[in-house]
Amino acid sequence: MSLESKYNLKSPGVKRLMREACELAEPTEEYHACPLEDNLFEWHFTVKGPPSTEFEGGYYHGRILLPSQYPMQPPNIILLTPNGRFEVNKKICLSISGHHPESWQPSWSIRTALLALIAFMPVPSSGTIGSLDYTEEERKILARKSRNWECSICGKIVDKLSTVKTPELTQEESNLIKQIALKAEEEVHRKEVTNSNTENSNDSEDTLRQRVVTNISHSNVELHASTVDPKDADSSNQNGVWNAVIAILISAIVLLILRRIFFYKCLSLYIYILIY
Amino acid sequence: MVIVIMGDEAKNSSTATEDVSQLNQDELIMAQQRQIEKEISETIPLVGDLENILLLEHEYSNDDVYQEKVKNLAKKYKSIRRTRPDGNCFFRAFSFAYIERLLDKKEDFDAFYKKTAKSKDDLVELGFQQFTVEDFYDTYLDVLKRVGDIAEVEGAKTELHSLFNDQGYSDYMVVYLRLLTSGQLQKEKDFYSCFIEGHTTVEDFCHQEVEPMYKESDHIHIIAACAALGTGVRVVYMDRGTGKAVTEHDLPEGCVPSVHLLYRPGHYDILYPI
Repeated sequence: MSLESKYNLKSPGVKRLMREACELAEPTEEYHACPLEDNLFEWHFTVKGPPSTEFEGGYYHGRILLPSQYPMQPPNIILLTPNGRFEVNKKICLSISGHHPESWQPSWSIRTALLALIAFMPVPSSGTIGSLDYTEEERKILARKSRNWECSICGKIVDKLSTVKTPELTQEESNLIKQIALKAEEEVHRKEVTNSNTENSNDSEDTLRQRVVTNISHSNVELHASTVDPKDADSSNQNGVWNAVIAILISAIVLLILRRIFFYKCLSLYIYILIY
Repeated sequence: MVIVIMGDEAKNSSTATEDVSQLNQDELIMAQQRQIEKEISETIPLVGDLENILLLEHEYSNDDVYQEKVKNLAKKYKSIRRTRPDGNCFFRAFSFAYIERLLDKKEDFDAFYKKTAKSKDDLVELGFQQFTVEDFYDTYLDVLKRVGDIAEVEGAKTELHSLFNDQGYSDYMVVYLRLLTSGQLQKEKDFYSCFIEGHTTVEDFCHQEVEPMYKESDHIHIIAACAALGTGVRVVYMDRGTGKAVTEHDLPEGCVPSVHLLYRPGHYDILYPI
């Protein structure tokens, strides 16, 4: 590879990227990524749309820009294939990508970033930077179209993935996907509050759960346990509103009754005085 | 729950439009912060040269409280080595000072090398991604080997100093010590969970406060880092508080400290006893 002569192989960052390139050299059925021929710090990747979502059957291609301080700083992800979830040609906002450097850990890798991207696709975007709110139908059409999409450098992307099963997730990676699923839960709830289009969000919530369930069955319990919390908080919030409404109604009724009684009292007093 | 700070803030604001402006505001603040950090890092070396302790007086020429404290400090310590204030200062200072000290005694150094060589498997067992842990581990051992192979002590120390000022190596040393510290916390989580405030589990604390770079260290980090390396540290506190003397804390309590650090609010430097 011409890359080896170009970079200082003693630099830990370069060594790390070389290592990741070896690690990811063989495409899997879910993702593939490799550095450009002339630049170790820019990679191109292809991911498959997650099954049982509106992205199923889609192939999405993009760039990964590695900062010179990688892995101390997180990679930046840019999607190139129109997908209806993320804007193309724009650094996108994943909880582990460049826009939130304080949550990135150097022990994560490009593979972790790709897994997070796949897990994040069905999560409602709720106005975060670089996100798009296309309808399910529009996304499905884009997923179909993506099969013919070509990258000017890599060519036809539909051929980039293989049928090799993705290596089993490590504990850390499963945790990461759990975190993103949790983040999604919260966003789902916010969505419910702002508009009542809940059907769509519940769909993706379920698929996310399925994903986690298939990967690590034991974490299912934890995930459910922790998702109860926001729901509880939400329902108690709603209860609070109802309580307030009921209290106002009751006090209004009491006020009316009191006024009545008082009015009659006054009236009888007036009659009493009038008579005597 | 490990969610980024921005997520929390967004959760608290009530409407979607507020969320967006909040996010943009955060972006700007973070960009500015990064700019400031960059400016700082360009002026201060990762691990500085040895300086006479009395030079500290110049920093506080108009401050009697500090001047008095520096004089007191000078009774016990002859020199200071500053580190870059980038949030990694404890880990960098501790790592450097400990290895530097080990170089004085060949047996201790060899014992530490052997101990470190065995540390990777524990981390992988705890669920860290094997190939990234290996990456940091290999570099850590590589640095130890490179300085250990130099027979002459002063030469070895010079090499250590230059490796710790090479951002690539230096940050890798920091990451590996952060991982070891995280591993130690998780291994003895029953004990450490008592000292964690505002976080649900030791694991979450590690993911949010220990493993990410540039996260500052607290007592709990120091105690766990000491336990992980099997040593103790004396932290000398110097602030504008009353009293002429500086306060000393040995961590863990009652240890024979191998490393002395000067703590001024928010920052650690290395001290050298007389």
